[in-house]
Amino acid sequence: MNVANLNPQQTQETEFEKRRGISRVEVRYGFAQVHITNLDGEIQAARLRVLKAVNEAGISVDFLKLTPTGLSFLVTNSCAEGVATAIQPVASDSSIRPERAIVLVHAVNIRDEEGLIGHIVREVIETGTTIDHIGDMHDRLLMIVSAKDAPRLEKLLAEKLLAGQE
Amino acid sequence: MRIKVMKFGGTSVATAEARMQSAMRVISAKDQGFRPVVVVSAIGRKGAPYATDTLINLLNEIDPNVDPDPRELDLLVACGEILSAVVFAHTLKTLGHSAMAFRGGQAGIRTDGVYGNARIVSINPVALLKSISGGHIPVVCGFQGVFVDGPGMPGGELTTLGRGGSDTTGAALGAALKAEAVEIFTDVDGVKTADPDAVRNAPTLRTVTYDEVAEIAHLGAKVVHPRAAEIAMMYGIPLWVKNTFTDDEGTQIVPKSDFPGRRVTGVTHTGKLVYLQFDLSGAASEAERVMLETRIYETMARYDVNLFMLDMSPSSTGFAVPRDQYPIVENVLDGLVIPVGGAERRVYLFQVGRNASREVETQAALLGSLGEVRRVPAELTEGCTMVSLVGHEYMQQPGVFYNVMHALAEAQIQVLQTSDSDYSLSVLVTESESLRAVRLLHDRFGLSEVS
Repeated sequence: MNVANLNPQQTQETEFEKRRGISRVEVRYGFAQVHITNLDGEIQAARLRVLKAVNEAGISVDFLKLTPTGLSFLVTNSCAEGVATAIQPVASDSSIRPERAIVLVHAVNIRDEEGLIGHIVREVIETGTTIDHIGDMHDRLLMIVSAKDAPRLEKLLAEKLLAGQE
Repeated sequence: MRIKVMKFGGTSVATAEARMQSAMRVISAKDQGFRPVVVVSAIGRKGAPYATDTLINLLNEIDPNVDPDPRELDLLVACGEILSAVVFAHTLKTLGHSAMAFRGGQAGIRTDGVYGNARIVSINPVALLKSISGGHIPVVCGFQGVFVDGPGMPGGELTTLGRGGSDTTGAALGAALKAEAVEIFTDVDGVKTADPDAVRNAPTLRTVTYDEVAEIAHLGAKVVHPRAAEIAMMYGIPLWVKNTFTDDEGTQIVPKSDFPGRRVTGVTHTGKLVYLQFDLSGAASEAERVMLETRIYETMARYDVNLFMLDMSPSSTGFAVPRDQYPIVENVLDGLVIPVGGAERRVYLFQVGRNASREVETQAALLGSLGEVRRVPAELTEGCTMVSLVGHEYMQQPGVFYNVMHALAEAQIQVLQTSDSDYSLSVLVTESESLRAVRLLHDRFGLSEVS
């Protein structure tokens, strides 16, 4: 093969890895958040009773977080009523917040970028938005907020976190 | 031209015998009509004479209290792959096949300027294509590239790619060369349903999707690095994980569209973590609770601490940090005093751990005469690990959380926190229970039967 005759595409530089840092902010709507506090008895067993009740109602759970006296999780808005009925016998102190949104801040390898999660959370708190819950995956940070607050938070975070990035 | 990129890990080039077996695989590919391009890691794993850790120790032995300069460190550790590439090329030569060794920069791999953790920004493969067209087998150093930034550094600065760098090199070269396949050779048969150290007979998955392999790699599986899987996915390069030392067919990594249906893929475990849960119920007002939260996260950002498995509730917030970063956290948070402005004369005093340190007690005694002191205690759990269930189109099923929590509760394994994604569900457990947790979940989800 003569390199001089190579297809030009083959000698061109190719762009590769996803750029480090925050790449985008996204919002997903249509959730209700279930908060359960002050569970009676041994906490792990009490949480399990709640999850069992939800499972038996055939409801899928996302974003489960354990709190010192209970737990919280997300269901779709359409399941809010069903989950309220299901947990009623096993959780006397519960609340369901409908019309929640998940705000996602995407950043490749976010957990390995030193200080990045702390930086984002600080920026989020400083927007003054009430954060119902927060969580992380290897490539994103997720926050649960009221659906009506989500567009404002999305805009503010995009301005603060994506400024100066391509 | 049918190009195949063949990447050999440390154990596949560790000894003359291993290199010979690896070389025979390259020659076999050539005999099948492929034009092989080889990528090699440094010779051997931790403790071996030319392994990356051994090279770093050369500097640590001079004075362990002086951190090496990242630029110099990259120059040093890159020697491991250079040596390996030259030795492998010569091995091929002794078998009658002309081969040429290339440093990452010589192979056209350009990176950003982050020493020790560079990312590939572009590859110009012309030197490799010239080598192939000249009848040679190129042998490229994995894990390294070159950063060129203007006339101040005409030759460029050598950079290394960080963890999983050689896999990343293999996948990126596969994309640049429009390879027919990229094969990652290692010392296991392919992608397994769990770490064989935890589940001895964990089966090998014959097919996994790019998303699945990226997820399990991010969550602790060491067989292929997620950066490599992401590049292969982006460019649609067929990727295989195979065992250098057996004839097992290995694991093929395919697009999601080639694998309809749902399943649990595997169970992983990763991380030496410390979990902190801050009790914010003592805040005098909502504004002061927010102030405390802000201060916690601001401090973590300022000191570059990595955070995992966050949670936030009206009365608490928590996260896990890598064990090696915990001393920083303790140093900056234990005894931290936050005064409230105005006429309140109230101060908050952070206390890490159930028992107050001498520093916290001293602060409390000194501050007590000035006004009200409210403690912000952080419950501390040292020695934690993240155990994750990874699945394909599975996590949205009702009952997944329940089944995981139930299995662990039955075995009396305490779950400290959870996190979940479209592809995985992770639980934070104590390190001493992590292998038992992996085995339990592996059994509960029937992973011994998958293929």
